[in-house]
This record gives sequence, C-alpha cells and structure tokens, in this order.
Amino acid sequence: MFLQVLFLLSAALTIGCGIAVAVTRNLMHSCVFLLGTLIGIAGLYATLGADFVAVTQIMVYVGGIVILMLFAVMLTGGKDFVSRAQNLLGLAPSMGNKWTFALGGLVGVVFILTNIKLMMSVAGTLPVKTINNELPSTVSEIGHLLVKDHVLAFELSSVLLLGALVGAAIIARPRKQ
Amino acid sequence: MVSLTSYLIISLFLFVLGLVVMIARKNIVAILLGIELILNAAALNFVAYSRYVTNNLDGHVFSLFIIVVAAAEAAVGLAIVIRFFQIKETTHIDEATQLRN
Amino acid sequence: MQYTVGSIAPIFLAPVIAFVINAFFGRKLPRNGDWLACLSVFISFVFSARIFGDFFFGQFATDFYIHKAFTWFDLSYGTHIFKVDMGIYLDNMGAIMLLMVSGVATLIHIFSTWYMDHDERHGRFFTFLPLFTSAMLGLVLSDNLFSLFIFWEIMGFCSYSLIGIYYEKEKAGDASLKAFMTTRVGDVFLLLGIVALWMVIGSVSYVDIYSAIAQGKFDGQMVLGISFATFTALCIFLGAMGKSAQFPLHVWLPDAMMGPTPGSALIHAATMVTAGVWVSLRMYPLMVLGDITWFIAVIGAITAFGAATIAMVQTDIKAVLAYSTLSQLGYMIIGVGVGSYNAAFMHVITHAFFKACLFLSAGSIIHSVHEQEMPKLGGLRKYLPYTHFAMMACTLAIAGIPLFSGFVSKDRILGDALYYGFMSGQNPLLAIVPILGFAGAGLTAFYMFRMMFLTFYGENRTHSHDDHGHGHAKKDAHGHDDHAHEIHHEHLDLRSNVPLLLLSIFTLGFWFSGNIVGQGFGNMFGAKNEWFKILVEAPKVEKFVDRQKQAFTSVDSREQVALPAASYHHQSGYAGPNPNDHKLHTAHVIGAWASIFIAFTGVFIAFLMYIRKSIKPLADTFPGTTALLKAKYNFDHFYIDVLIKQGLLGLNRFLAWLDMGIYDRYAIDGVASVNRVIFKASKWFDNVVIDAIGVDGTGVAVNLFNLVLRIVQSGKIQFYFIMLVMVLASYIWTLNI
Repeated sequence: MFLQVLFLLSAALTIGCGIAVAVTRNLMHSCVFLLGTLIGIAGLYATLGADFVAVTQIMVYVGGIVILMLFAVMLTGGKDFVSRAQNLLGLAPSMGNKWTFALGGLVGVVFILTNIKLMMSVAGTLPVKTINNELPSTVSEIGHLLVKDHVLAFELSSVLLLGALVGAAIIARPRKQ
Repeated sequence: MVSLTSYLIISLFLFVLGLVVMIARKNIVAILLGIELILNAAALNFVAYSRYVTNNLDGHVFSLFIIVVAAAEAAVGLAIVIRFFQIKETTHIDEATQLRN
Repeated sequence: MQYTVGSIAPIFLAPVIAFVINAFFGRKLPRNGDWLACLSVFISFVFSARIFGDFFFGQFATDFYIHKAFTWFDLSYGTHIFKVDMGIYLDNMGAIMLLMVSGVATLIHIFSTWYMDHDERHGRFFTFLPLFTSAMLGLVLSDNLFSLFIFWEIMGFCSYSLIGIYYEKEKAGDASLKAFMTTRVGDVFLLLGIVALWMVIGSVSYVDIYSAIAQGKFDGQMVLGISFATFTALCIFLGAMGKSAQFPLHVWLPDAMMGPTPGSALIHAATMVTAGVWVSLRMYPLMVLGDITWFIAVIGAITAFGAATIAMVQTDIKAVLAYSTLSQLGYMIIGVGVGSYNAAFMHVITHAFFKACLFLSAGSIIHSVHEQEMPKLGGLRKYLPYTHFAMMACTLAIAGIPLFSGFVSKDRILGDALYYGFMSGQNPLLAIVPILGFAGAGLTAFYMFRMMFLTFYGENRTHSHDDHGHGHAKKDAHGHDDHAHEIHHEHLDLRSNVPLLLLSIFTLGFWFSGNIVGQGFGNMFGAKNEWFKILVEAPKVEKFVDRQKQAFTSVDSREQVALPAASYHHQSGYAGPNPNDHKLHTAHVIGAWASIFIAFTGVFIAFLMYIRKSIKPLADTFPGTTALLKAKYNFDHFYIDVLIKQGLLGLNRFLAWLDMGIYDRYAIDGVASVNRVIFKASKWFDNVVIDAIGVDGTGVAVNLFNLVLRIVQSGKIQFYFIMLVMVLASYIWTLNI
C-alpha cells in the first residue's frame, strides 16, 4: 500500500513537472520544474527498490546538474533571445512559439504511436517475473558489481569525468584576443 | 502491485516530453534540459526492467553510468553554451552556424 | 600448423597499430614513420603468405573454411533472433585476396616512400595508407556483413582523406567530397540491405545467410511488393555499385586521381574498388536467389563499354588509367552477372597487379617529368627504361594479349558472357552483354596502346608547349630537342623501380592459369594444376546448414566438410553456365579467337594512328563524338541540370516551403510568404545552380549529392532530431517489424 501511494505521488510529480518543463515560458522556472521531475524519478527508483540509484539521483542530479543549469541560465541572462540569422530558418523566439510546439507535438505523437506499435509486437514475449515485496539494500551488491563485473566501465567513466572536467574548464575559460 | 507497464508509460511520457522540448525550444540551455529528460527516461527504463525482468542489479549499474555520463555531458555542454554566449552574446540555436559552408 | 586467432589477427592488426603510432607520434619518428607503415604491411604480408601457402599446397580440403566468431551482443527475445556476431571467416578466396592485398599494398608502400619523399604531406599520407590497407584486410577477413560495413566505411573515409590530401587545391577538395558523397549513396542501400537481412534471418553472418538460403527461409517473404531475396540482393548490389563505381554511380572514380599517385594505385587496384566486387562475390548465392544476375551483367557491360569509350579521348595519363579501371571493374561485374564466379575473382587479382603497376609507373613518369598530359610527353622510352618495361608488360596484360594475365581472366569472363548472351536460352536482349564486352575489349587494347605510344614513343614533346600532338612536329624521333636532357635518366632503385618490376612479373599469365590460346583449348598445365579454378568456386550453400560455430579462441582442425545428404537447394536465378552443355565449349573457342583477334586489331589501329600516323587521330575524324566523350557523356551536367533542376525543383520547393512556411515562424501574410518562398528558391537557384553551371566544365563539378544534402542538411540540429524520429518511425511502419 505504501509503495502504491509513493508510486502515484512520484509519478504525478514526475509527469506534472515534466509537462511544466516543456511548456513554461520562463527558462528559470523550467529549470526549477526539472528539479521536481528529477525528485519524482528518484521516488520512482525508490519504489523499484533501487535505493542507491535513488540517492545518487538526488545527489548528482538535484544537487549538481540542476544547480549547474541554473548557473548557466543566470550567466547567459535567460532572456528571450530572437535570432538575427538571416537564413531560411529565421526568427523564432528563444523559448519557442505555437508552431514549434505544434511540430514538436506532432513528432511526439508519431513517436508514441511507433513505440506503442513496437511494444505491442513484443508484448507477452518478455518473461516478466512475479516479484516479492522485499526491497533489500542494494548498496553492497552494487559496490561488488562495480569493482568486479563492470570494472572496465567504472574506470573508463572516471577517465571520462576527468576529461569532461578538464574540457569544460578549457572551453569555458575566457581568453584574450 | 504496480506493474512494469506503468513504469514504461511514465518513461515514454518523459521521453516524449524531452523530445518536444528539444524540438520546440530554441534556447540551447533549454535543449540541454530536454536531453536530461530523455536520459532520465532511459535510466528509469533500465531500473524498471532490472526489477521486473532480469532480477539482477545490472540495470542499476547501468543507470548509475547514465547519471555519470549525464553529469559529464552537462558540464561540457554548459561550458560550450557559456563560451558560445561570450562570443555571440546569444544562446539561440539558430545562431550556431559557424560550421556552415 | 594450426590456426588460432593469434596467427590470423596480426594481418589486420599490424597496420592498425602502425596507423595509431603514426597518427599520434608520426612527427617525432624519423622519416615521419613511413618505415613503420611499410614494416607493418609487410608483417601482414608474411602472415597472409603463410595462410595462402597452407591453402595452396593442399593442406585443407578445397571447400574448407575457417570460421571463428563470438557473439558481440545478443538482443534476441522470444522467437525473434537478433544478434551480432563478430569474427573471422577465411576460405580459399579469402586467402588469395589477403595475399594479393597485402602484397600489392607492401609494394605500393615502398614506392610511396620514394614518391612522397620531401612532400609536405608525407606524414599524413603514411598515416592513412596503413589504415586503408588494414580496413581492406579486415573487410576480407570479416565473417559478417556488419563488420564488413564498418570496414567499408573506414575505407570510404580513408579514400576521402587520400584523395583530398592536398586539400588546399580546390579540385582535390571537390573530388574528395564527390567520392565520399557518391559512395555514400551506395552505402545507404547497403545498410538497408543489411538491416533487412537482420530482420528476417536475425543475423548477418555469411554462414547464417548461406544456411538460410539453403533452408529456404527466404521463400515467400515479401517486402514492398517484391520478393525479399530480390530486395536485399538489389540493395547489397547497389552498395557494391557505389563502391566499385558502376555505371550510374561511377562519377567519383575518375576524379579520385586528384590524390597522390600511389594513393590512387591503392584505391584503384588493391583496396577500395575491389570491395564492391568482393561483396557481390560473397553474396553471390543471394544474388542468384534474388534473380538479379541479369541486372548485374547489364550494369557491368554498360560500365565496361562506356568507360572504355571515354578513355579513348582522355589526354591525362592518370585519367586514362582511371577510366580503364572503371572499364575493368565493369568486366568483373559482368563476370559476377554471367555466373563466371571464378573468372570474376581471378580478374580482381590479375587486375590488381597490373593496375597497381600501371599507376605506379604513371607515378614514376609524373615524378620524373612533372607532367601528366600525354600530348606533352613522348619518347620517354630512352629516359625511363625500367618504367617502360614494367608499363609495357602491364599494358600487354590489360589489353588481353595471350600469355599475359589479363587475357586469361578476361577471356574467361568474355567466353562465359558469350555463352550467356547467345546460347544459354536467356532473354535475347541480353546478347548486349557479350557485344558490349567484346567491343570494350577492343577499345581497351586501343586506348592502352595509345597511351603507351603517346608516352614512350615518338618524339619528345616535354618542353615544347606549342605542339599538341597533331603530327605536324618534327618527324625525326631521335632529334633531341634542347631541353630533353633535363629529364634524369632512370637508374635501378629499390624504392622506385623494383616495386614496378616485381609487380610486372605477375602480369604473366601462367601464374594464374595455363591457357595459352584460350579457355577452350591450348592449356599448358592440364586441369590438375589449374589452381585458381580448383580453389575458387561459388559457395555451396548446402554445406553451411547446421554447422556449429567455432569458438573464437579455438584451434582449427582439418577435417573435411561433409555435405549433408539431403539437398536443400532453392535456386531461382541464372547461376552460371552449365558445365555439361556442349555449347559452352563452342562458346569458349569462339570467345578465345574473338578476343585474340579483337585485341590485336585494337593494338594495330593504335599503331597506325600514333606511330605510323597513317590514320588521323579521333579528334580530327569525329570531332562531335570526341567532344561528347571528352565531356564524359555529360554525366556531371546531367546530374545537375536535369536531375536537380527539373526533378528536384519540386522537392526543393516543398522543402523550402516546409522550412519557411511551417517550421519557421509562420508568415504573417500568406501571399507574401508564398512570394518569399518562390523568391528565395529562385535566388538560391540563381546563386548555386545557375552560377555554378555558368562557370566552365570543371567548375560545374559540384555534384548531385552535395546539392541534395545541402537542402536536407540545413545545419539546423532540431531539423535533424525531427528527421531522426521520422526516419525511425518510417522504417518501423513500412517494414512492419
């Protein structure tokens, strides 16, 4: 019962904030709504028994990435820029207008229909197991997996993070003429 | 009991919302937000499948890696956005045409 | 000796390692690491030679093959099989091909160290050369279409880099783009074919495809209204057409000579263009099942003849060679089409040797004289004796003179084509295949000897620019003019001449077969020693049924492959001549005499025209035809004027309307918007198309694909997202997964 309630709350938070991210006119608000979506997903992780992933989600995404996004928005002003480019695709406002949203919605509908078609063809062939309600802690087992089965990916991701760190610092560094 | 399908539907919705954001918005930061939504949808799928189908923790590990990659991607992406803003004084994606011709 | 992965993988890995080292540390190595590239390819050659030796000296049964694979990833669910294997597939054909590719590539590498000496792009050149070689070797070794496709694309990229190595020259840059974009059209079809095979069979491994053919898994499968086998065979052949530069997609190959000559030698002889023929040979059972062999034969015949006619009037020595490559590739494709599997593959090998040698000789001439227009050459025999010798041997081979390798392979193809066109009971219209084939053979002899006579014989015109070779110059062939002594007399040198001479040894026919006069008779060795004919045969699909996959790390045993008792054969198309038909022998005899006669006629006409000068050159006799040929049948113009202007105008307007009217900010006023669309479209046409066409011939070489892609690739990343989703959706909805 508790899981159902948690699931419903998290799902509502996720979808609601997701829609808000998509339609808000203000980029700053959009970022804040993204925060809600990510917290909702962390809740969904919790209902799936993925405690470690849920906590990581909150720490990295909510505590890190979204803050980074907010910084970026503030540094770039978050204004409603209009492109001055004189080409075939000319002057759309920065946050989109009804036509861009119509196009996006169209593509989304196509995607959903395609996805439903695909899932229908697979439906029933997946061996869905009946699961018990126990949600044991996954932390130690994930730790073992990371240093045993997935050790190569683990090390590679550390290299990736280092590269991203250095790359971001070099790219964003202001340079003189 | 909550079924696998409900998770898949939530994930599908998140993915489509991310797609819409990526197509409809013209601000590069907003497009990055859309990418985050899509990555989260994928990660949610992994965890859901790992609970309902494979019954092991590989999906969890995979979504951890997705989070790592997303963090790296956000850092580099935002650095590029800021650099772009310093040069062009805008974040409109249609202005990013330096590689054209 | 037993085969483990460790004894096969170095063939492919050694050049890759050389590439990596040269790419990152090449500048720090002495001589930019060219010795490393040579060494790595030589290592490949040694390993290939060992494998070839084992296969050649009968270590294995003739239909033995080595197949080691591991499953890279497996996404099967339920009854759907969807997996990707990676591995090595090696049979007789592969062993021969490996030896040829690595051997020719080694000699080309050695020659390049001389040719590219003191060039500013020396290091860059020696970075891409080993990668190119390794991609081809990997393609030959790969056991499935997916890894083949990966190597295929690496080769496309390498050829792009090698053609455009002097990227600051506008023509070189355009040529490299053209090569990349044109082959890309074929690549899309190849990928489509691969995906389609995946859908039905669930695997793209050769062995799985063969056994699926044998078991009739293709029967009754329809896609888009045509039989599934036809669809996939056609898609794969279209891919091969792009890579092997067959008729509608041939426009890139002649321009590919903009790169350094050894690079062209590698592209034209050993690697790039043979990949297309290779994949058609590997997928030959599928082509037969899909019944498209007639299409293959016709395309090959058109290419063979059309390219030969264009080659007759070219004045650039490399252009003549480039068109002769096109023409010879046409013969290989004819060979595939008429079911002459063994001869088609033999022509790949013989052609690789003599064409590599011809290009290297041309490189030697260009490097010594710094001139590649034939009217400004002539009389070089005295200065470049070794080059002359090597080039003469190759010219005799390509012209189809008996005792030389080109005769052996081309005569087989033409003999089978003759049978195919007139005696096999096919559609009588297919008689066009042997007719065009024989006509092209005569033209080949003519234009190759024209090139020889203009370059090496007659008076030296190296520095007399007022003379355009119309025969009104000094008759005295021995009259040195004042500048002739500036050409350095050639000395025997390990890096410049010896590769040529080594390659020219393999233009002798008896290396490949004992035919003196022709296929039907006059055999020197006897059938027992016709090793090529024994080793290479079209894959028998039945033997692949129920074969267990060997583990990737296993050691190969030498057991004979037993054919299963039950016959699974599902044949629908023309699968080669029936060896028991007595008419076949007649066709071979007629074909042999005809090809000997035609070759000598071509040589004789060239002799009369350019040595005796008793016949006027073509340009004087048929000025109109010559102009048409010089314009290469106006293909470049056709692609721009007709296809783009007429055909794609509507599409372009539609896309522009989509871009501006819908996707963009909606126009305030409908009429104004429409006006603006038309105005912009016409302005775009004014600037790009009409201006570009207004410039003279070479300037117009902006090609179709470039322009189409410019419309689609608007540089708007969001447009790409939409396209991505739409293409994905259209795939899923049309193919009904």
